[in-house]
Amino acid sequence: MENVVGTVKAPQSSITLAIAYSVIAAAVVGIYAGILFTPPGIEKIVTHHLDFWFCVGLALAGWVLRSVGGHKGVIVTMTVLASFVILTLNQPMLLRYLTFAALLFSMGLYGMVQSRNAVRVLLSIELMLNAVNINLIAFSRYVDPISLKGQLFVIFVLTVAAAEAAVGLAVVLAIYRSTQSVDMDKFTLLKH
Amino acid sequence: MFSNGDEIFKISRLTIVWLAGIFTIVWMVCWGLGIALPMLLTSQLGDKAALTNEILRAATPVIAILVFIPINAMFMVLIERRALALWTVRKGPNRVGPDGNFQTAADAVKLLLKEDITPTGADAVMHTFAPILFFAPSVFGAVPLLAAVTNNHPLFHVLNLPTGIFFVLAAGALPVVALVMAGWASNNKYSLVGGLRSAAQAISYEIPLVLSLITVCLMAGTLDLVKITEQQAGGILNWNLLGGGALTGLNNALAGGGAKALATSYFMGPISYVCAGLLVISLIISFWLYLTGACAEINRIPFDLPEAESELVSGYNTEYSGMKFAIFFLAEFTNLFVVSSITTVMFLGGGDNPIPPYILNNIPGIPQMVAAIRDSYFCSTLHIINPETFFATLWVIAKVYGLVIFAVLIRGTLPRFRIDQLMAFGWKRLIPLSLIVFIIVVFAREFVICHG
Amino acid sequence: MGQDMLSTLLSAPNVETWAFYLLTTLSICLAIGVLVDRVVIRSGFILIGVFGTISGIFLLLSAQFLALAQIMIYAVGITLMVVIALMLTNPRLEREQLIVYNDDSLPPLAKLFASCKRNLNLWVAVLSFVTLYAALIGENHWPLSDQAVSQDAVQTLGEALVTNYSIPFEFASVLLLAALMGAIMLAKGEPKHKVEDGDLTIVDETKKQENNLALQR
Repeated sequence: MENVVGTVKAPQSSITLAIAYSVIAAAVVGIYAGILFTPPGIEKIVTHHLDFWFCVGLALAGWVLRSVGGHKGVIVTMTVLASFVILTLNQPMLLRYLTFAALLFSMGLYGMVQSRNAVRVLLSIELMLNAVNINLIAFSRYVDPISLKGQLFVIFVLTVAAAEAAVGLAVVLAIYRSTQSVDMDKFTLLKH
Repeated sequence: MFSNGDEIFKISRLTIVWLAGIFTIVWMVCWGLGIALPMLLTSQLGDKAALTNEILRAATPVIAILVFIPINAMFMVLIERRALALWTVRKGPNRVGPDGNFQTAADAVKLLLKEDITPTGADAVMHTFAPILFFAPSVFGAVPLLAAVTNNHPLFHVLNLPTGIFFVLAAGALPVVALVMAGWASNNKYSLVGGLRSAAQAISYEIPLVLSLITVCLMAGTLDLVKITEQQAGGILNWNLLGGGALTGLNNALAGGGAKALATSYFMGPISYVCAGLLVISLIISFWLYLTGACAEINRIPFDLPEAESELVSGYNTEYSGMKFAIFFLAEFTNLFVVSSITTVMFLGGGDNPIPPYILNNIPGIPQMVAAIRDSYFCSTLHIINPETFFATLWVIAKVYGLVIFAVLIRGTLPRFRIDQLMAFGWKRLIPLSLIVFIIVVFAREFVICHG
Repeated sequence: MGQDMLSTLLSAPNVETWAFYLLTTLSICLAIGVLVDRVVIRSGFILIGVFGTISGIFLLLSAQFLALAQIMIYAVGITLMVVIALMLTNPRLEREQLIVYNDDSLPPLAKLFASCKRNLNLWVAVLSFVTLYAALIGENHWPLSDQAVSQDAVQTLGEALVTNYSIPFEFASVLLLAALMGAIMLAKGEPKHKVEDGDLTIVDETKKQENNLALQR
């Protein structure tokens, strides 16, 4: 397989297909919500296990449209948004917050392992820490609203995050001095 | 000695005319939207108007702020130029309109008609977004102050937050982002250096600023701006500027409590008196620290390194013109006004009269005057003047614009720092000093009964 | 009928739902922007937006103090990171290189396999989300409380910090102090003797840095 590395222009992507996909995603969310909130009297056909398959179907449709040439960013964003709404619509409020935090955490994880710029890695770690904060505050709101232990732990997380950012930036600075770069792939000091 | 007495007379006249104009307009907006219109609607429609009235009352503070900010900025630019001219023995703007009164209005029209340019290779979205992000916090940051400066008037009462001063500080931290953004998005090295300088400066000077405000909050025992203002009521001896309540015992003794009041407040005898003295000195230092830190936060001379004309060609706003530059300009003067209001609320007693009531009520004529205003047709029937708010607002206006004039005086007096001097002054002088003051206050307040 | 629907839509739990979905939509879009934007500095500024929306979510969860602290800490903290990124990255190379894969010649199944293999990181992230979500669904029996968060939450927090949690608090501050001192030591630069033994390399390096600065647009 030949990979061409360089600042070549991205292959032409179709906005029309992406918009079509957005419409499909919105329609799927609408159908799901319609089935979910059927007025009493009509028998429900959806149990909460079906929402997962809705998401898988959306992702597959997105993949197909993407390989035909749809705009990647719009398709990914719409898939994530629609899946998030479908997965949380049938849940109590606490679980919605927790799902949102899990989503942000996974996005931070992706950014951390994917990006090659060290500063962006630090930014992704901040995102992950914030996802944890949302978890803690959601629990302190819905499970323990009197003594607020969750909020206390958020204060500690903020402190540790500040320390982490300071040390991380200093390490990046120190490595930059020797390699003249902040590219993670070039941080191979221990290899040689 | 008063060779420029004529200029002083002109500048006083200008100030009075403008202030009367500004606050009459704002007052009419508040009264019309918040009081007169709901009264009219209720008399016409009865109970049906309840929802509309609620919406009108809720919208009043926002509309009042939005009306106030542009005309206030115009006045502040004018007064700054006239006062600078006065102190450097020149003539200020004096052509457009009587006494040059309409100079800034003409400037504003010129700015709005200018072409709006985005430099080649600049990040257009960020370039547009930076002035908005710079301007928005100065508007929203001012919101919790409204209740405090109007003596907790019912119209503005809803805006009061239990964590008011913290809200103001959080809003004050945002403009740094906007300045770095503006510097980076302008595609200009001078702008970039300006943005970087402003980041370094704001972060260094935020620490003494926040520590000095924390000292005041520690003395007050609350973060609520209205409570902090109410604690300081009753004359200059109660203000946070003079010990944050350390002199309340003295005030009570003078008011008629005598030796008994002194013994209650300063219960440890000589140690308490020493501690009260320490508190007074510490809080005065805190006041000075706050003024210095605030000067650096809003990039006023002597700390205006991010936009130094002679070295950086006005720094982060080099590449801005037209509307966007106007927003930057507006926000700078609004920031000066907001900072002066915070100082007034936190240190200078908000709308409190500096003369204590026990002296004021013994001056012949004053109580009768207050009673006459209270019983007048305007107050009792039309609700145009609310006596509690009226005098408080007068004092707030006097204090806030006094501080603004003081900032202009500093601008006309002190030279600009060099960047290394600025950082050394911040980290080696101000931060240790603010920490020492904080620790002294923590211990000294145990020996004096303060209002916290 | 219409009035009924309007009042159900505007009832307190529904308003919270609407606000939740509004904030999360904004937040997710901005977070994707952080991950995919090619200019690191811009993605830093977008991250400040993400934290703004997250502090909105904190407000929804009635944690006013932490929402404000979030804005105050992260606005300045992320700006600092952006400043460091500005100083360390060369704008010409800063746009992370786009890798174009040339696998048109492969058969369809191998193409699918290749694309899966290439996007392994994405699969890791999706898998982590699915795992977390499954765990959440499986554990969904927490003892929920009906009470609202008290108005003087700041007081509760402050009292807890100096009574029950004073030792963790002290440890956190010691950790912060140590981390800051370590960061200063790391970032302070090379010891002096290096300047003596290799003047040429230092000159070279400063030249490089100057070039970097000059290249910044």
